[in-house]
Amino acid sequence: MNDLLRMILLDANTQWVLIGTMLLGIASGVLGGIALLRKQSLIGDAVAHAALPGICIAFLLSGEKSLFVLLIGATITGLLAAYSIQFIISSSIIKEDAAICLVLSVFFGFGIVLLTKVSQTPSGNKSGLDDFIFGQAASLVGNDVKLMAGAAAVLIFITALIFKELKVLTFDPSFAKGLGLPTGLLNFLFLSLLVAAVVVGIQAVGVILMAALLITPAIAARYWTNSLSKMIVISGIFGALSGMAGTLISTLGEGLPTGPFIVVTATALFLISMLFAPERGLVTKWIKRIANNKQLRNNKLLQGEKRSGYHEL
Amino acid sequence: MSYESWILIVGSLAGVTCGITGCFLILRKLSMLADAISHTVLLGIVLAFIVSQSMSGIYMLIGAVVVGLLTAVGVQMLHHAGIQEDASIGVVFTFLFAVGVILITVFADDVHLDVDHALMGEITFVPWDLVQWGFLPELPKAFLMLSTVLVINLVIIGLFYKELKITSFDPQMAAAIGLPVLLIHYLLMGLVSITTVASFDSVGAILVVAMLIAPGASAYLLTNKLSIMLLLSALIGVSAAVIGYYLASWLDVSISGSMATVNGIIFALVFLFSPTKGLLSRKFTMKKLKMD
Amino acid sequence: MNPVVVENLTVAYQKKPVLSNVSFEVPEGKLIGIIGPNGAGKSTLIKAILGLIPKAAGEIKIYDKKYRPKDRVVGYVPQRGSVDWDFPTNALDVVLMGRYGHVGWFKRPGKKDTEIAMECLKKVGMEKYANRQISQLSGGQQQRVFLARALAQDAKVYFMDEPFVGVDAATERAIIELLNELKRQGKTVLVVHHDLQTVKEYFDHVMLLNVNTIAAGPTEEVFTLENLTRTYGGKLSFLEKDQLIVEQK
Repeated sequence: MNDLLRMILLDANTQWVLIGTMLLGIASGVLGGIALLRKQSLIGDAVAHAALPGICIAFLLSGEKSLFVLLIGATITGLLAAYSIQFIISSSIIKEDAAICLVLSVFFGFGIVLLTKVSQTPSGNKSGLDDFIFGQAASLVGNDVKLMAGAAAVLIFITALIFKELKVLTFDPSFAKGLGLPTGLLNFLFLSLLVAAVVVGIQAVGVILMAALLITPAIAARYWTNSLSKMIVISGIFGALSGMAGTLISTLGEGLPTGPFIVVTATALFLISMLFAPERGLVTKWIKRIANNKQLRNNKLLQGEKRSGYHEL
Repeated sequence: MSYESWILIVGSLAGVTCGITGCFLILRKLSMLADAISHTVLLGIVLAFIVSQSMSGIYMLIGAVVVGLLTAVGVQMLHHAGIQEDASIGVVFTFLFAVGVILITVFADDVHLDVDHALMGEITFVPWDLVQWGFLPELPKAFLMLSTVLVINLVIIGLFYKELKITSFDPQMAAAIGLPVLLIHYLLMGLVSITTVASFDSVGAILVVAMLIAPGASAYLLTNKLSIMLLLSALIGVSAAVIGYYLASWLDVSISGSMATVNGIIFALVFLFSPTKGLLSRKFTMKKLKMD
Repeated sequence: MNPVVVENLTVAYQKKPVLSNVSFEVPEGKLIGIIGPNGAGKSTLIKAILGLIPKAAGEIKIYDKKYRPKDRVVGYVPQRGSVDWDFPTNALDVVLMGRYGHVGWFKRPGKKDTEIAMECLKKVGMEKYANRQISQLSGGQQQRVFLARALAQDAKVYFMDEPFVGVDAATERAIIELLNELKRQGKTVLVVHHDLQTVKEYFDHVMLLNVNTIAAGPTEEVFTLENLTRTYGGKLSFLEKDQLIVEQK
């Protein structure tokens, strides 16, 4: 086991994959944290599903499996999905949850239709595109991994650049507008970053589980701090840990998909945080509440004695 | 009966069953929970197989209900512990789904269930997957399961129509007159779970979401009455299934994907052209108001 | 027998108590205003009495018994904003919901229930709008539909959460007439209320609440500048100018 692990770790390609999933984890942890506070967690889910038709269209148009082209296609349909959701909510009585669900499933359904078309083209054995559904980080090689790592790094960099503005926009959109910030543009920028993170992550985690990488580390981080900046950092770290651990586990066995293991790792981190984080952890709170209740009861007894009779109408 | 008519019948049954159940999800703002359950039902099916070592319908239904309710309870618990509802849903379903996928890959040799099939459905195989129940002649399994679930759904919605209505519209008032609001919530989630698993074979886990939500959303924009909304939603569900099938055989693409796409197109049309709540008619009334 | 008796009620979200040691009694056949600043726990009080949220401590009795919905002695008007008015249903249908407690499981509301519901709509002057989709009603009309629904519950004690918020003058008058009508029939009505100016005019009794009970009793005795200062604390300074003029009249 140890030897196997060492062998894996020494492999140059695996090292690249690990760096890639780590950077991806950081990027999605950070952006997911902001999405969580903007109550847009599940938009990431819809965007991820909506990437499938984009990937297929890009393939059908270009006729080649160049990752870069496929990701551009994914970005376009992902953004289209995000804006469709916002448009449906703002201009009809359909509520957010139904809009997200509708867009997610219809885009994905259309993606499946296209996927069957792709598999009929002479050059397209669909197995390559199939990996996008569950993610196969471990089998990624060469330039694809470097593209993923590079893109994730760029995302982290851009987010750091406009972090201050995003913070204001998240906390109080109307105040941000009052400050003269271009809120429409910022909204677009954030959505684009979110879509880009999802798109970059799809090959590692897959379209269905990508949402977890945006949501779970962010929720876990929420338990450790009340400060936005700290939360984002912790969320990034949790994302990186999940990405790396999931990738390692999936390389241990043949044919094990990466995405599910990344998700299980992230959820484990979340459960630990929910139970044991200082201040907000459930176990910590429970212990405090017992102490608190005792105090409350004692106080009440005292008050009860003092009270001479209750207010009568 | 011919091959084609079986596919049309099964598709329409899925359309009706999902269409009716989905209306309540939209009105209760629970669409995402249905999305979650449709994913986690995969785990239920895998577990049912591991426990029973068979792919028999009844075990699958039980497994689905158990895991579906587990999803609903899990979301409720996290939400109660102070986590935003959408995020609770995201955490719970991705985790349970991930566990399901891992189990399938680990037991890959034993489980005769491939993930692609579970996700996308394979309605083309439905007419050949025959079983015999009791005195009935050999019939497609998907047909039997969907009819059973449709009957269950109709009976339950019929019996508890006014309770479902008031708990959807005003849960506080419902609780104040002593209705078990939470129990009714879980009853509905149970219905969603069996609906999902019964539609699983034909349309797959993710596309069942389209069949649950899209017809209801379209119907919501067309009427002001709950009973008519249910009826319209069922109708739209059937039309989308039938049109989707013919479109798919014409273009030679995935049938379930095509049904979801047609559902999306119907919604887009209604969204634009609905006589009272459509985008165009609203724009028009606004203009008229301005002119006056 | 007093219809509502609350003793030492404490409700807490997490650690912070929202209501602490609230005690009061309500006499039968009166209009009672529940008054206090934002965050004083007014809505929470009603919800706790109806068992919609759990209480940390205390005793609540409705007609000398623990509150049981199936006794059907209580009618409830939630805040108008608490429901989604885009729900596909019409005004008459909403009022009919008030009959659900009487109809019981597995049965549909019958012809008689529909007649009662129509009657209730008439009492709030909304019979013309019976078949109107609820999202097409104005705020005041929606509030009247909610009141009609409470009437259809045919209860002895009514709890109303901010019925006067965002309604037009005509609706406000209609509501007041209705409240007085209920009083004449011997019903007891508790109303969460905001507008200090109208308190004296509308209510027989008031209860001043700010996490604790500040004071409770007949309006002319309890609704004094001193008690209000204790209820609203520093916030009263701006209230004094225009609203307490009523007080000095």
